[in-house]
Amino acid sequence: MALLTQQAEEDEHYILVAKMDNARTMSNILKAIHFKETATVFASERGLKVTVEDAKCVQANAFLQAEVFQEFIIKEEQATFKINLTVLLDCLNIFGSSSNPGVTAALKMCYGGYGSPLKLMLEEEGVLTDCSIKTLEPDDTLDFNFSSANVINKIIMKSECLKEAFNELDMTSEVLQIVMSPDRPYFRLSTFGNAGSTHSDFSKDSDMMEAFNCAQTQTNRYKVSLIKPSVKALASSVRVSIRTDNRGFLSLQFMIKLDDGQVCFVEYYCVPDEDLAEEYDD
Amino acid sequence: MKCIIPGINVKVFGRAIHSLAKIGEELYLEPLEHGLALRTVNSSRSAYACFVFAPSFFQHYDDGSGQLNSQDSEEDVLRCKINMKSCLTVFKSLSTIERTVDRCKISLNLQESRLVFQLYCRHGIVKTHNLSFIECETLQAVFSKDLCPNAFTAQAKLLSDIVLNFQNNQEEVTLIMKPDKVLLKNYVEDEPDPKKVVHTELGLDPIEFDHFQSGVDTEVTFCLKELRAILAFAEVTALPVSAHFESAGKPIVFSIDSDPNFEGNIVLATLAEDLSTQDNATQQSTQNSQPINRSMPSTAAKRTSYSSKKSSVSSTSFGRRVSGENLERKMASGDAVKERQEKSSASKLDESTEGFRVIKPMMGVNNGGEGSTRNGRVNLLTRTEEDPWAQPSTSSPVIPLQNNKHLLHSVGADTSMPEVTPPGSDEDDEEDMVPGTPPSKKFKSLFFGLSQASSQASQQKEAPVLAEETDDEDS
Repeated sequence: MALLTQQAEEDEHYILVAKMDNARTMSNILKAIHFKETATVFASERGLKVTVEDAKCVQANAFLQAEVFQEFIIKEEQATFKINLTVLLDCLNIFGSSSNPGVTAALKMCYGGYGSPLKLMLEEEGVLTDCSIKTLEPDDTLDFNFSSANVINKIIMKSECLKEAFNELDMTSEVLQIVMSPDRPYFRLSTFGNAGSTHSDFSKDSDMMEAFNCAQTQTNRYKVSLIKPSVKALASSVRVSIRTDNRGFLSLQFMIKLDDGQVCFVEYYCVPDEDLAEEYDD
Repeated sequence: MKCIIPGINVKVFGRAIHSLAKIGEELYLEPLEHGLALRTVNSSRSAYACFVFAPSFFQHYDDGSGQLNSQDSEEDVLRCKINMKSCLTVFKSLSTIERTVDRCKISLNLQESRLVFQLYCRHGIVKTHNLSFIECETLQAVFSKDLCPNAFTAQAKLLSDIVLNFQNNQEEVTLIMKPDKVLLKNYVEDEPDPKKVVHTELGLDPIEFDHFQSGVDTEVTFCLKELRAILAFAEVTALPVSAHFESAGKPIVFSIDSDPNFEGNIVLATLAEDLSTQDNATQQSTQNSQPINRSMPSTAAKRTSYSSKKSSVSSTSFGRRVSGENLERKMASGDAVKERQEKSSASKLDESTEGFRVIKPMMGVNNGGEGSTRNGRVNLLTRTEEDPWAQPSTSSPVIPLQNNKHLLHSVGADTSMPEVTPPGSDEDDEEDMVPGTPPSKKFKSLFFGLSQASSQASQQKEAPVLAEETDDEDS
């Protein structure tokens, strides 16, 4: 009893306390956006949003809504901090990343506010680990101003076949060209590498397509180096939504199913390649 | 040119490309009347591989000759090479291809000068690969299987099991053909320190083979890497592999030709006998030990432990080898050996020109050489055993271990040491020896490619390292 009250008192110091039965859930989602060392964490009563950016051109957001946690208490309206994502993932997997069925590491995460470290407590089969990770001054994150009102083309498909296409992307090609069109070839991914060009065409009638809403033909190129990290998110997802807006900005939203049946979302925004060559050869 | 591979065959085709990719860096593609030929040659031109897929392999096959003739009679039939890596990306994941690809179309886009591979996958997905190519002449190795006195055919599984026993970094393997058995052992370069060498030797009884024809006792040394490549293909297709060879220095041909829809041949250079004194020595030793080997079962009748017999055989051969080297030492001092070798290798060069050459096709008769590869083999002395294990070996002096198809025997340094290093104190001198040319280069440079004649000469000057070694030992 005394211990419980003591713990409750301790928790009062924190502005954020989140508990999760299985730390793997969190690490799986965070892995999907782990293409840069540091991430910015936004905590609000709706949950956590973790943002990773690269080259001011691509942004990945992972959403861990409050319902994913068994307990999620936040005393302030919003808490923002930057953290070393590699270290955070290492701590979450401190009991090993291999999935022993039936054995899960429980997680309690606490944050005391601006300037204080993020504390993680992990427990697996009576073994307790305390981690304290220094937090950093948060940076401003990019605002892609991607509003659904400006979306021109939108495709929702099962991730399975896109995984294959993304895995086989010709890395000697500098750009990935995405064609979305109400007519043939409907949805085409192309690369232009040393050995020649490669196109993957997806028919709109394919049973892999869940929604196909393309209003006009759009051809946009994106840097392969910027797109490639999304493979991680794609790999763990079941569905993907591909959208482009009137500026050619690309939004990829990945739906990731958790072990307990809940779903989480990871999204990628990417800017198009400026110098869209006039003569893109087919 | 246009051909369509049905779904069930795409995997075989992809596997062939994977195997070819292990050998060469460029894929030579040539549509012929009797099928699509895929060929490659390795960078040192010591290995050549060719797959011919018959029209029956395809759902649709058009070699494009008719079309081209009508369009432009000047235009020759397509003969091109493409980068192996780019072709490999088309067939990158064979498991995915097997699962998803319904058919594969290969065609030529003359306007864009691209070779087009189209994979029609399930769920209405179409993957198009436009690969750039270079027009080139026919790549053709000159070899003939029908004149080879030695031949055997074995299941791919048997051969892969054998090859598995050799270390992964093992570059060459020696195949010793005798009337009553086949021995395979790793080829050991003039390694200065015998402690660092592992000798592996396997014996195979003729009943292990589907066909077995031993015309001449011989010993051929060839690269293992390329053999592994074709075995990988044969194992997946579960087809038997046959080998045809003559003697050291003459190419060995491994072929897969039991499927009417396709045929695969791989021609490997073999090491010439009189390359160095050590080769002589080893050759001598094996020839010397041969009678011992044969007589052994009669003297030590019914020895049940195969391996114990083997170890004594190999230790005798070790002893012989050393004495062989001694012989050489007495016969020739270092410089004389060098000279002699240069001469012999020069004469060898002439002989070896029957290796590969790029045949310039004459007036569209581009597949002239092809005939030789498709010639029938000599009637093989067939000894097919329905159940090799049920049949006790009668004629063979070797007592096979019943359930062990491949008998592995590694002669560790510990067991062989006493025989191998008679002048133990000279060890240090051996260490000082100038390291020789990398084994593979010395090996490869000997046989093929006229273009390499110049590099051959320089490399062969470096080759007789052993002469120095023997000098040191003498002093």
